[in-house]
Amino acid sequence: MKTLSLILALCSGWASAGAFPYPVKKKTLPNGLDILVIEMPEFKDVLSYNTMVLAGSGKEEQRGATGLAHLFEHILFTHRFKGKDGGYNDAINRMGADNNAWTWFDITYYHPLTFTSNLAGLALLESSRFKALSINEKIFQTETGAVLGEYRKVASNPSMKMEERVYDLLYPNHPYGHTTMGYYDDVIDMPKHYEAAKKFYDTYYRPNGVVVVVAGDVKAEEVFKTLGPLYSDWKAQPIPPVKEKGPEPSGDRRERVAWDSDIAPQAWVAYRMPAFKLGSPEAGAAELLDELLISPAAPLQKKLRYEKQTASGIGFDEGTNGFESAEPRAIIVSAELFKEKLAAKGDAYFDDAIKDIEDGLDALKSFSKSPGAADLLKVIQSKYRYDFLSGLSSPRNVANVMAQYYRFNRDPQALDQLLDSVQKLKPEDIDRLAQNYFRPENRVVLTLAFEPSAKKGK
Amino acid sequence: MTMRQILILAVLLAPSARALEVVTLDSKAPLVKIKVMVRAGSASDPPGLEGLAALTGAMLREGSFGDPLHPVTKEKLADLTRPWGTAAYPNAQVAKETTVIHFSAPREVADRYIDEVLRPMLTKPLFNPKELERVRGEVLQYLRSGLRLEEIENFGLTSLDNVVFEGTPYAHWDGGTEKGLLKVDREALLRFYKTHYRPENITVGVSSNDKALIEKIRNAVAGMGEVKAEPYESQVPQAPAAVHGRSALVIELPNAISTGLHAGYPLPLTRKDADFWPLYIANVWFGTHRDDFSHLYHVIREERGYNYGDYSYIEHFEGRPENLFPPLNVPRRYQYFSLWARPVAHQFAPHILRALTWELGNFIRTGLTEEECALSKNKAKILYLSFAETADRLLASRLDDAYYGMEPGYLPGYLARVDAVTCGQVNAAIKKYLQAKDMKYVVVTKKGETAKIIEGIASEAPVWGKDPHDYNIDVKEEDGRKLYLVPQPKLDILRRDAVWANEPLDIPKQNVRVVPAEKMFETSAIP
Repeated sequence: MKTLSLILALCSGWASAGAFPYPVKKKTLPNGLDILVIEMPEFKDVLSYNTMVLAGSGKEEQRGATGLAHLFEHILFTHRFKGKDGGYNDAINRMGADNNAWTWFDITYYHPLTFTSNLAGLALLESSRFKALSINEKIFQTETGAVLGEYRKVASNPSMKMEERVYDLLYPNHPYGHTTMGYYDDVIDMPKHYEAAKKFYDTYYRPNGVVVVVAGDVKAEEVFKTLGPLYSDWKAQPIPPVKEKGPEPSGDRRERVAWDSDIAPQAWVAYRMPAFKLGSPEAGAAELLDELLISPAAPLQKKLRYEKQTASGIGFDEGTNGFESAEPRAIIVSAELFKEKLAAKGDAYFDDAIKDIEDGLDALKSFSKSPGAADLLKVIQSKYRYDFLSGLSSPRNVANVMAQYYRFNRDPQALDQLLDSVQKLKPEDIDRLAQNYFRPENRVVLTLAFEPSAKKGK
Repeated sequence: MTMRQILILAVLLAPSARALEVVTLDSKAPLVKIKVMVRAGSASDPPGLEGLAALTGAMLREGSFGDPLHPVTKEKLADLTRPWGTAAYPNAQVAKETTVIHFSAPREVADRYIDEVLRPMLTKPLFNPKELERVRGEVLQYLRSGLRLEEIENFGLTSLDNVVFEGTPYAHWDGGTEKGLLKVDREALLRFYKTHYRPENITVGVSSNDKALIEKIRNAVAGMGEVKAEPYESQVPQAPAAVHGRSALVIELPNAISTGLHAGYPLPLTRKDADFWPLYIANVWFGTHRDDFSHLYHVIREERGYNYGDYSYIEHFEGRPENLFPPLNVPRRYQYFSLWARPVAHQFAPHILRALTWELGNFIRTGLTEEECALSKNKAKILYLSFAETADRLLASRLDDAYYGMEPGYLPGYLARVDAVTCGQVNAAIKKYLQAKDMKYVVVTKKGETAKIIEGIASEAPVWGKDPHDYNIDVKEEDGRKLYLVPQPKLDILRRDAVWANEPLDIPKQNVRVVPAEKMFETSAIP
């Protein structure tokens, strides 16, 4: 029965192909918790229940205790439901849900998926762990072992080290200056940070800093009726802003990262970008940067990978959404180079690749003056719209996209505003974004190469 | 013409093997998805030319197509498809037995897409040699740097796949081997294309029931394979040899800060067999991928904090570690059972190998209770929500159904099949298909750690992991002696630790091969 209904689901749901095709219903509880419901009845029996905490590693201000937001994502799964160790997980597994979460600079996002018939049971479990988490120090300490394992499994990949360096150079005075995973030494020390972790939870896991998005085969009124009483006794508290503790760094900063295995060299070029103001021309233009720079049809790909064959691959280190942030963050263009060419040409090879990347970004400063700019912008806007629609492929994916953009202005129309800001762009908007931010004083350049004597560490 | 003559003519006109097959998914989403499955993948690479299937798939897009005087280059293709979305730029996915070229395009331009992209790309590939050099260079770079030195988990997973199928055409990475990739030339691409890219070897999936569109696609691919080249002799991959006893391959990385652990053996069943479903329910309980429902995850990660996760599989799972759910369009006629403990601190590696082995053996001895079977069946139904999450997955799954000849298909029949499984069948399947005595192990570690790990693997003495101190058990000092105040749940953990420690692997040192990372994937032989 469910098989058939899911297939049928894909026949409809596209009433309007021009904008976000689903109505979004919203209720804000007196304590500030926003509940959004996206009714997608064609996905019969599917319940996607998402909790977005508006705090990630970008709130970790305590030196030596990086990685706590991510650790806390893990800890939330160890909640002692009904006073029993492991009670939350046990109850989830008895009810049945796919239950996972992720953490990033601005967000910690929890996204269980189950059948609609479990709405009341899941709401009880989710509200319980977010408003009244019960943990003990020993379980906390055991879970830090899993987080250490998470660090270790990616430690052979030099991108982790590159990220650590690039953020440190971009944000020496802000928690954005470390990765979400945290520094290795801090991750090793995590068992000692029980009190700091609890403080993080007390400060940021507050209803006024959380959004619940429920999508799928649900009725908004029933969701509001079920969730309202469960979350209403969660106490609000002012959430302190994070401020940059010192001036923005300035000057073109360059650094070589040494690596201890004979890997392909890399060149990274990063710029500090503005805070993402949803609906603004600046944010709309920023949405198109991947298509303007690094997609298969974009100039950097053509020049570095095809014409000169300097690079075997080129991309944005964090994907296309890395710079969508409540506070100014960064765009990072990363190129994987060839070790044979580095051996033959030495540092001139790095210099050439970096110059090509910088020139590619600089070219956008006069995008409107390039031949056919207006037509090209239309092509790219078309691509953006189709990619946006493709992403709305399931309740879980729709909820995720909604949450990602809703957080900027807490307006249920956020996605329409986003699409509108992109579709209304003029070529000059691209020029302005590039002129304002692709400046040497905003820039950090990193190179990575094998050095036999290199040692990994903090 | 008599009826008899008509029948004879009909037989003569009939295709020699099977006709082009089309499967559809009725969807009215704004983009139509098209997937072309070729029944040939890396297992069809001729010996010494490993990587040919992957390069052929990649070169359809990268190597230009159409009129040689006015070719559609990769740059032109990128420009042409740009307004239609990222997925309009075609991609080829090469697995052991299949290559799937997939793309999607807005419905309103589907006809144009077929005329300007699909038809010429699939019927008039040019395989430009300059582009072959570039693509080969990029693949070799990934093999030498990415796969061998940067992705410790993927390295171990790929190595286990090779080791389990050692001596068969499955025994190399789908992208090829270092030596094989270097030998592929344009002629080889043409020969591979001629041999395998033929209508009778194709299943097309379309997310539309529009008859005119389907007919157009059918016509567009009808001319595939028509190039001047000598076809290769088609080879049917043989089954992997049975494993006797236990052996280990230890791969040395120059800089690993932890050790990855893998084990497996060939499994004589696929998803089309009736026994698949009870065994699947058993495996959901024992080792669901990246899920705390898994028993292995519970005992190794959650209770003891050794690593990020511990799982088991009854089918190959492509795209690990990133993918949370098994990707589609990687069907195989031969499957394997496998265990995976994600990297642990070096000193714990031998103990966790014992843990994996003992837990598997214990699972076979005890089986599942009725309650555990019911919970596992419930979990299997939840997994369905993700397996069947999107139109793309539903369409891709229909191609796999065509490959396996499954009716009803894997997803259409999934919930009913899960419902029908009895606990008796689950326990019978565990006894019939799972075993822990004939197993190949793969360990990926740091060079300086190898000797200690081999000692641990070969030792007949107890090999311990964490001690009570690591479990944060309270200690009281009394008369200069330490008194551990062990609560009951921790006592169970310590007892089980002792059982694991006392489970020798019975792998003598002569059954342990040590290979430096740089030597893996040179050829299809395990060095």
